[in-house]
Amino acid sequence: MNAGRLWTIVTLELTQRVRSVAWYVLLGVFAAILLGVTALSFLAFSWMSAFGTGAGGAIYSVIVYVVLLLVVLVSPTVAGNAVNGDRDQATLAPVQVTLATTGEIVLGKLIAAWISGLAFVAVAVPFLAVATIAGGLSPAALVVSLLVLVVEIGVFAAIGVGLSALVARPLFSIASTYLVVAAFVIGTLIVFGLAGAATRTEVSSHSRYLNYDAAGREDSCTAWEEYTYAVPRFDRVWWVLAANPFVIIADATPTAYDRQGNPTDLFGQIASGVRMAQVPPEADTWSDGCQGGPESYPSVREQTDGLLPSWFVGLGVQLLVAVLLMWGGWARTRTPARTLPPGTRVA
Amino acid sequence: MASPGIDVVDVRRAFGAVDAVRGVSLTAAPGRVTGLVGPNGAGKTTLLLMLASLLRPDAGSIRIAGIDPVADPAGARRVLGWMPDALGAWPALTARETVAVSARLYGMTRSDAADRAAALLGHVGLADLADAPARVLSRGQKQRLGLARALVHDPQVLLLDEPASGLDPQARIDLRLLLRGFAAAGRTVLVSSHVLAELEELVDDAVFVVAGRSVTEPATGAERVRAWRVRTAGDPPSAVSVAAALGLRPDDVGRDRDAFLVGFAGDDAAARGLRALLDAGLAVVEYAPAVGRLEQAFLDLGRASGGDA
Repeated sequence: MNAGRLWTIVTLELTQRVRSVAWYVLLGVFAAILLGVTALSFLAFSWMSAFGTGAGGAIYSVIVYVVLLLVVLVSPTVAGNAVNGDRDQATLAPVQVTLATTGEIVLGKLIAAWISGLAFVAVAVPFLAVATIAGGLSPAALVVSLLVLVVEIGVFAAIGVGLSALVARPLFSIASTYLVVAAFVIGTLIVFGLAGAATRTEVSSHSRYLNYDAAGREDSCTAWEEYTYAVPRFDRVWWVLAANPFVIIADATPTAYDRQGNPTDLFGQIASGVRMAQVPPEADTWSDGCQGGPESYPSVREQTDGLLPSWFVGLGVQLLVAVLLMWGGWARTRTPARTLPPGTRVA
Repeated sequence: MASPGIDVVDVRRAFGAVDAVRGVSLTAAPGRVTGLVGPNGAGKTTLLLMLASLLRPDAGSIRIAGIDPVADPAGARRVLGWMPDALGAWPALTARETVAVSARLYGMTRSDAADRAAALLGHVGLADLADAPARVLSRGQKQRLGLARALVHDPQVLLLDEPASGLDPQARIDLRLLLRGFAAAGRTVLVSSHVLAELEELVDDAVFVVAGRSVTEPATGAERVRAWRVRTAGDPPSAVSVAAALGLRPDDVGRDRDAFLVGFAGDDAAARGLRALLDAGLAVVEYAPAVGRLEQAFLDLGRASGGDA
């Protein structure tokens, strides 16, 4: 691995992208979307100032999610034809015949695709700065979420580059990159929802209420009534969501709570929701309407205390997939080639 | 002993069920331009890919300046320059950048690469277009760009796949001079083509590949009959008078538009024929082999292998 040659390949890839007008149009469209999202977020979260927390954290999390969403949508097309697109253009073999090694070629393409994805983060920087200035954002949340975002962009780039080296046709490698990314983003949600709903168990709930007489005074208690019904067991499949990139960012970011113990940003809400899915449903619930005042519910913060964070498992699974695909792509691109993808020529 | 040229011994390569190369042996000597001759689909490109260290042979051995490209691809790549038949150029880069990037990939520093690119583009006659995007170059100009790229690291062995296709006559002459100069410096050049007239003017030696096998060049000895083209000034005389001058039957003299085709076995016979024609008072203005040396050899080859079958 030679740093000079590696960087030559990275700049070669980036130069071609930088010189295409379409790339700037895409970034411009993205900036316009972010502008709209930021403005709407300010309107949507303006109530939060009333609770003594700035709206910045909430806006920040929305912007990071929009960046991630866009990278999810764009990076398969950016990275998904990195190697086989070059082979189709007959520009791969002239690089392979130089002293550049296969490792340098695929790694250079990965780095270039990664940097291309980071361009979206760069466009988002002014908006992230505005959100930070709006207040309410903890430095830990800022650092961790950005870091995870950067890693996620790299994971998508690696999936795309790896598949582009493994699959012969650019069209199919882009499509399969979309499928793998969609498996993480949407597939995990579908599996979570369906598997949770498919593994229902019976729970019973008992309740009684106060009776009121005609004058509206408390009269007597009703008898205990028992209801039995099936509830989905999300606690058995919660780990499926761990590999979802949106959940990973939310789960990894330290959650900020307001005075009532509710999460103040989107990350916190999603992380709490996912963690609460770990709690098994109670087999027997008793609700006594005849005793005392309104029941006090524990805050989200109290409910999620002690539940497991799972983001590192999910990120580990994603990294494993990315590394395996990159390794497979490397093995497939090695020269002198023993086997070629069917229907392709070396040059 | 490491030969500075190319040594190939019984190389084979199959793609699935298709045997692309079924046993090629060849030697390309340094200081000479060697032609790789064969029809379309004979396995020339596959063979060159194996020589260029991009494809692994199923069997056989290859030495590029004494280096085995399978065992030591990096070592082989250091000494070989390869120009592919399908010429891909990075669409967003200029000609200068294209060559400079290749130079950088061979480990040159930025300034060395820039100098080398400028020198090479001048060498192949693209100096005027150095800063034009590679995608606007014509096919012939792209060929030259490919040649500059193949020469960028000053290789000892040059492998060219159909380098003259798409070149105009002037560019072909330039290419010939360039390759001659390259060979004169003691380096090895292997050129493939299926256009034999094109190779004829380029090569010193020829290796014939038919259906994935190398075949020895048929003896171009005196006994083999070759057709010569005879054209006279003014209105063409009758075939009978030409035949009479040569002491042949009129049926032995063919017509090719305004010229005659006469078969001679060897150069001496052809020289005697010319003398006889002049002695008979025929105003000969054109007297040359009707088909090139390589073409004739190639045609004989087809006839020989056809006869065997």
